[in-house]
Order: sequence, then structure tokens, then C-alpha cells
Amino acid sequence: MRIINAINIIDDDTITVFGIRKLITTVAECNDIKTYNNGKLALNKLRDIIANNETLPDIIFLDLNMPIMDGWEFLEEFIALPIEKIIKINIVTSSINKEDRDKSELYKCRTHHCLSYNTKPLNVEEMKIMTTPL
Amino acid sequence: MLRRKTENKTKNLIKQLPKATAFVDLNLDIVYVSDSLLLKFECEEKIQNSSSILKLFPHLSKKWKKDFDNTQKGFENFPKTSKYFNSNNELNWVEWEITSWLNEYNDVVGSIIQLEDVTKKTEYYQKFKKLETLVEVKSQTAKIGSWEYNATTDELTWSNITKLIHEVSEDYIPNVDTAISFYKKGPCRDKILKCFDNVIKNGIAYEEKLQLITAKGNSLWVRVAGTPFFENNKFVGIMGSFQDITEEVLIPQKTKESEQLLRTLIDSLPLNVYIKDLESRKTLINKSEADFIGLPMQQIIGKNDFDLFPPEIAQIHRNQDLKVINTKEPVLGIENRNVKKDGTVTHFLSSKIPLINEHKEVTSIIGFSLDITNLKEKESELKKLFEISSLQNKKLVNFAHIISHNLRSHTANFSMLLGFLIREKNETEKANLIDMLMTASDNLLETLDDLNNVVEINTNISLTNKKININSELNTIQTKLSSLIKTKKALIKNHIPNCTTINGTPEYVENILLNVLSNAIKFSKTDKENIIELYAEKTNHYTVITIKDYGLGIDLIKNKDKFFGMYKTFHQVPNSNGAGLYISKNQIEAMNGKFEVTSEENVGTTFKIYFNENN
Repeated sequence: MRIINAINIIDDDTITVFGIRKLITTVAECNDIKTYNNGKLALNKLRDIIANNETLPDIIFLDLNMPIMDGWEFLEEFIALPIEKIIKINIVTSSINKEDRDKSELYKCRTHHCLSYNTKPLNVEEMKIMTTPL
Repeated sequence: MLRRKTENKTKNLIKQLPKATAFVDLNLDIVYVSDSLLLKFECEEKIQNSSSILKLFPHLSKKWKKDFDNTQKGFENFPKTSKYFNSNNELNWVEWEITSWLNEYNDVVGSIIQLEDVTKKTEYYQKFKKLETLVEVKSQTAKIGSWEYNATTDELTWSNITKLIHEVSEDYIPNVDTAISFYKKGPCRDKILKCFDNVIKNGIAYEEKLQLITAKGNSLWVRVAGTPFFENNKFVGIMGSFQDITEEVLIPQKTKESEQLLRTLIDSLPLNVYIKDLESRKTLINKSEADFIGLPMQQIIGKNDFDLFPPEIAQIHRNQDLKVINTKEPVLGIENRNVKKDGTVTHFLSSKIPLINEHKEVTSIIGFSLDITNLKEKESELKKLFEISSLQNKKLVNFAHIISHNLRSHTANFSMLLGFLIREKNETEKANLIDMLMTASDNLLETLDDLNNVVEINTNISLTNKKININSELNTIQTKLSSLIKTKKALIKNHIPNCTTINGTPEYVENILLNVLSNAIKFSKTDKENIIELYAEKTNHYTVITIKDYGLGIDLIKNKDKFFGMYKTFHQVPNSNGAGLYISKNQIEAMNGKFEVTSEENVGTTFKIYFNENN
């Protein structure tokens, strides 16, 4: 069992959040999994962490379609944050639109963070890759 | 003695002869001379008895000598003429005739010369010849022939030109009957007979245009004139002229025919045709143009566009005309919008072509206009239809996305939960997973309901329309929202007049107002008084209901695409799943209305609902 320090899940769908949490526990050990219902809530928290010099998460699971601040808006603001550490960002969406996948490629080029695009439903094998340390 | 007496008598006799005469002997010395000769030819000093006659006109001496020789030999001479200059150096003409002088035994004893001053006669003759030539030349170029009828002999003579016009040979000899037979049978021949009769009986001259058939069978128009002439007040004949005027008659006739053809042609064209002068005044128009302007043709000719159309339209036309005049280039196939003084709008496809004379100057403008109003209307209808269908198509694509996305997200959840359930050993966890599956199933059903709603709105073509009083509708809605109003401490200020009504489908209207109003109430600022204001106004085709709040507002520039999207929410408020506005938008569009939203973050949102009056 690999050990992960901190994970953030940004998704408004309770079932998906439940699923992600459950899958994580089958492949890794993490005592700090935080869930946010939308991008804005997550972003606010991350800003606090940076300001207080606390520990940033190693992995973020990001939904695209959310109220108030969606996944794209979150990404836009997140990549602008002064974070030296490379964070693994796993986009988890039910969208199989090519448009969305292409858009994620664009973000990949714009950031030093490690970005991946994954479509629901997730399985254990995918979760293993998503939780592999950099 | 007797002889001398006789001789004196003779001398005296000859001296008095009125005609200038001289008798010369065989040596050409003068024997007798008349005073008239000496006087008329100014030679009293030059010539006396017994001087040589040749001294009189030395320059003629050779010719005279020859004639004298002839007479001495017994031959005869013709009178001859020659010029000479008198003492004033004026040109004169003399005619001489030299005959034999015989004695009683018929012996030639000398010659007799008779002189005549023919200066006047010659001058007249020359003048006559000149005139004759002139007449000949003129008659040939003008093709005017002449004819003459001698009443005494009943003879008719034709000049060469007259014969040429009749297409008969030069040796043709006409008479009155044959001449008349050339005229076309019927009115023409009757007329010439009458005229001829009238000139003979009453001496009245005539001039007529008549049709003639030539000897070769060609049909001609001739102008024939006849004038009687008299001798001692007695009618002796007719002189007249004869002219071929076929072209003169036919050309105007042909011109008239061409004009008629042109007129019929341009009047029958399904085009407005006009010709304008350099001042843009109409000089010619066809029937279509007159009908379009709505005035009789005579009232349009001479008028410019400023007389016929509103000034701004006329100026556009004038500018186009000036461009054609200045560039000498035609303007082809341009679309012109014309407004008549009564406000009728017509669309034309127009061409303007400069008419250029031989000096390369523009003299006028020819214009053609095709009324394409119908075409334009069809085009705009088509455009509208195209816009509607692209909009519909966009909506459909959007809807397809929504369906695929929403259904996919639910099925993904099912798939995942079922995957867990299969592997789960723990009974409590199993029950937990089944609960979650139930929730997922409920969510799916709810989504399907929402989607079904949207489909219904978009397929419900025959909507039942009713007149709805806005305020009574709003009262019902406020009752329904009473608990929300209470918890949100909303204060609704209604400025809508009581009589305001709209046309619409009651269920849609209710849902729209419910959604918009509840949104306005829900997204309030927690720290401020929650005021909602309602207004109504009438515009061109709509009754506009405005719902204005001073709540959270949103950045519309950022969220333009998401505002009416399905399942898009902007604020974390309970009971907002994002389907409401999406459905409302579909409903208002189904009633041919629209939404207009202005919003600013932390300032508020103004929501305008356009209810179509002609729905």
C-alpha cells in the first residue's frame, strides 16, 4: 500500500465522491482526503494553505461540471497560484466530448503540474495510475 | 450724167439703211456705207469711202477675208459672231453676214457686209445657257423632272429625269392618256384626272403627292405640279415639275413605325425603363415606370427625382446619375431601395447606362430597374427561416449534449456502484451501496423528467393562448413562494398597472414568472435588505415584464454561455438545480418571446421578459 499525504476531491456529485474515496482506499493509504462541492470552495482553501505555508495536497480529483465555479475556471485560477510543488491533477468527468479533452491538452501545456483526463466510471486500474507518485 | 445721178441716189439710199451695211468692191474697198454702221461701230474716223473694210475690225480681217473670198466665188456664208472691244474697252459682240453684190447681169461686182451688235443678245443667250445648265444640274441632283403639255398639238413631253422616274427609256414618247395610266388606280388616278381637267378648263395650277407604278412595276410616291401658261391670254399648255418623293414619304412613315415598335417594346417589358437628361430630368419613360410612379406619363416627363421622391432617396439617385455622367461608365445590377412619397418601399435591381454621342460626350442616361421587392421579401423570409433553423439546430445540438452528458453521468454512477456492490462482502456496506443506487436512480428519474419537459415545450406546436392578467398571475406565484419570501425576507415592490395583460400559454407564463422571481429572491445578499422590483412596459411587439433585484448578481461576460444552460448554477443555494431557467428559456421562445438579462456581481440582476403580443 502506497501512502499519500493529502488528497483533494472537487466534485458536487455525492455518489462520485463516494466512489472516488472508495477506490482510493483500495489502492493507497491516505489520512487526509478533503472534499469540496465546487471550484471556488477548493480554491479558497488552497489560497489559505499557501498563505499559512501549510502542506498542499499531492493529488487533486477535479470534476468539470459544477455550480458556481466549474473545473475549467478552477484550473485557470489554480495554475496561476504560486505553487512550486508539482501536483497531480486528475480530471474526472462524465463528458466524453472531444472538445473537453482537447481543452485539457491546452491546460497541460500551460502548467508544470501533472494533468490527466479521465472519464467516469473509474475502475481500480485507473485509480492505481491516478495515485502513482510522480 | 444719168449714171452719176443714179449712183448718188443709191449712195444716199444705202447711207440711210437702218442696218449697218457696207458695199465693197472686189478689192474690199468700201463703195457704199450706211451711217448706222459708222455710228454703231464708232468708225466714222477710221473708215471713209474707198478705204478697206478690213480696217474696221483688224482682228477679224482674216475671217472676213475668207468670207469675202467665198462670196466673190459665188458661195454663201452663214452669219458669224465674234467679240470686240469698243472705245471704252467694253466687251461687245458683233455678228456679221457677208453676201455677194451682183450687178444687173448677175456678175459679182463686190460684197455686201451686214453687221449687227449682238452684245445684248449674246449676253442673254449666255445667261440662258447658264440657267439651263443650272436647272439641269439641279433637277438631276434633286431628281426633279419636268414636263410640258402643248394644248394646241395635244403633245406631252417629258424631261429625261421625268422619264427616269417613270423608268421608261429616253426615247419614250408619252401622251396624256399613257401618262395618267402610270398613276395608281383608285384615288391617285382620280385625283390626277381631276387636277388635269381643272387646269385645262379653269386654268388652276396644282401640286399633289401621288402614288405611281413605274414601267418596271415599282411603286413610288411622286410630287407632281402643273401650271397653265398662256399666250395673249389664251391657254396654250401646261408646264410642270415631277419629283420622286418616295423616301421623303416613307422615311417618316418608317420612323413612325420604329417609334411604335420601340414604344410597344419598352411598354411591354417587365422592367421600368427611363431616359434622363444630364440634370436627371426624365425625358422618356415606359408604362411600367409611369405605373410605378403613379402619375400619367406627361406629368412625369421633365421632372427629376426630387420632384417625385423624398429628398434623401432622390439624392442617392442623383449621386448615382452623376457617377455615370462623370465616369461615362455604366452602373450595372445594383440594388436600390426606393421609397415613394406615400411611403411605399420598393426594391429595385437597377442598371444605368450613359448614352454617348459622336463627340464622346454623355448626353443622357438610360436606366432599367427590375422590381425585386417580392424577391427581397422572400430573401428576408428565407434569412429569417435560416436563422430560426440554425438556432433550432444549435438548440438541438445543445440538447443532445445535455442528454448525453447527464445520462452518461448517471449511468457512470450506476456502473461504478454496481461494480462496488458485486465485490462487497460487508453487509452494512452492501446496504449502504444499495441506498446510493436508489439515490442515483431517483436522480436519473428527475433528470429524465426535466429533459422530458424541455422536449414537450419544443414539440408542443399548437399552444393554447390566453389573455393573462399579469398582476393576478404574480399574486398566485407570490402565494406559492410565500415560505421562500419569508425566509429570504424579500420585499416585492410591484409597479405594474393592474390592467396589464399578456398573451401566452398559462402554464408556461406561470413557470417562467415563478422561476425568474424565485431566482431573484433566492440569490440575495445576506447582509442587505432584499428588495425586488417589478415593472411593465409596452414596446413595438412585446409586453416587457422587468424583475429587478439587488442581490448577488453574476459576471455575465464570463458566464454568458452558462446562464441559460441546463444544470448550471452560480450560487450555492438549496433548491437550485439549474434546470429552471433552461426550461423557462425554452418556454418563452416557444411563445416567440425572449429574455434579456443584465447583471453585475454584487450589484444585482435585471431580468426582462419579452412576451410577444402577436403570439
